[in-house]
Amino acid sequence: MITDILFNLVSYRIDEEPHIRVDQAKCASCANRACTFACPARCYEWNQGRGQLDFAHEACLECGTCLLVCEAGAVTWHYPRGGCGVRYRLT
Amino acid sequence: MKAPEPRARSAPFDAVVVGAGPAGASAALCMAQRGASVLLLERGATAGSKSMFGGMLPYCPAAERLVPGFWDEAPWERHVVRRSLSLIGEGTSTTMSFEADSFDSPPYAGVTVFRPLFDRWLAEQACKAGATLLTGVVARELLKDQADRVVGVVVDGPQGQIRAPVVIACDGVLSFLAEQAGLRRAFNTSQMALGVKALFHVGEREINRRFDLVRRQGTTWEFLGVTEGVRGGGFLYTQLETVSAGLVLHLDSLQSRGLAPYEILERFLARPLVAGLLRGARLVEYSAHLLPEGGVQMVPRLSRAGLMIAGDAAALCYTNGLIQEGMNLAMTSGLLAGETALEALGTNDTGGDSLASYDDRLKESFVLRDMATYGRAPEMMRNERLYSVYPTLVGQILQRMYASDGNPRPSVRAIARQELKGQGSLPRLARDLWEGVRAI
Repeated sequence: MITDILFNLVSYRIDEEPHIRVDQAKCASCANRACTFACPARCYEWNQGRGQLDFAHEACLECGTCLLVCEAGAVTWHYPRGGCGVRYRLT
Repeated sequence: MKAPEPRARSAPFDAVVVGAGPAGASAALCMAQRGASVLLLERGATAGSKSMFGGMLPYCPAAERLVPGFWDEAPWERHVVRRSLSLIGEGTSTTMSFEADSFDSPPYAGVTVFRPLFDRWLAEQACKAGATLLTGVVARELLKDQADRVVGVVVDGPQGQIRAPVVIACDGVLSFLAEQAGLRRAFNTSQMALGVKALFHVGEREINRRFDLVRRQGTTWEFLGVTEGVRGGGFLYTQLETVSAGLVLHLDSLQSRGLAPYEILERFLARPLVAGLLRGARLVEYSAHLLPEGGVQMVPRLSRAGLMIAGDAAALCYTNGLIQEGMNLAMTSGLLAGETALEALGTNDTGGDSLASYDDRLKESFVLRDMATYGRAPEMMRNERLYSVYPTLVGQILQRMYASDGNPRPSVRAIARQELKGQGSLPRLARDLWEGVRAI
């Protein structure tokens, strides 16, 4: 499956400080959780067991999709620190 | 146009340009060439490292004006000689290919580029002309004075506040600076599309063989009917040794369908037509980006005292379903913003009225005129039937026309009438056709 290797092909310089924050209370009551499927980097996952939204800012492609599709207004998102985040080589 | 006077100034730079993409680098290059001191800020480690687009830079005169001999100098991949569109129906595929002899000789109608390479090159031209490029620096906020005039930017790190009489925000589709300035309106998922792209290494000779190309000829190929009920399309673009394969998906449609973009992409790549062209190819990179697709209605006011916005930050990007333009609009708007800044600096007036001439210049240029010409296209492209019903309908009509089954054939007109009935109403088709024609 291509999807399984797709995400491994992206280069990053990881910012230790997350540039994404989510308001878990809002996520818990969100009906659609569009971030969990619309994010093209598969950064968000609903953790049924813990009842929380797990997210990995390290894999972010910085497109902003989550910010736009979040219906609960739960996402705080800004650009990673200068020089950090995704580094496209060709694309 | 005269160069600005060397200023006895409190600000170290005449202008700060935020974002070293095609809009920002064009603005910086234009101003630096005419003696202004320009600081070009880029949040990526290098210019272009955050950039991603579909694939083709259409011809644009601004490029020649910025870099004489641009088309010989710039690092582009292939010149596009063929534009194809495939309508994928249930079990059918209908392809229209357009080629023109004139596309095969300079000035080329369009070239494919890699943005990390192209953007870095263009920013280097700005530096050679005397601009200062600072990479790895995020401009977080606009600096305003008591009169609410933009007087600089606030950046992370030791530089802190950077003052300048003019700021040009070319900080991309999410433009937080244009939002802070009260220029960009709140985000609206119905005005945005998500682009996802996989880059495959196929090899130069194999690309030529598989796509029927010679020398450095290239092709663009769009697909309708491949997005599983999400409004959008697929694309293939050829670079010298690689092929870009991806999707553009309307964000509101993706959101309501509940599908993952990479899963639709995976199934697009597995379609026989696409899989055959990419057989044995090595996957090299994956990328994603948003596109402003709201058309001219999404374009905000473009200036205020001390500030102009250009490129994606100003939503200068459009598609009418057949053509997709953005990078040429970015370069042209950057150039016009740079020229406006030079004039304003020359008269020592970078106030709102002075910089408003940038809005006028863009309205007079092809940028906003083309966007106005295709002003109805975004609404037309929200018609769900374009992405599923019609590609299937075209395929069914042609399938029945081409197939023989030993029975007497109905006329093509009769087949079309029968198939149309099966797809609902004729008046609706007539209305959709009319809307389509009006939009383009």
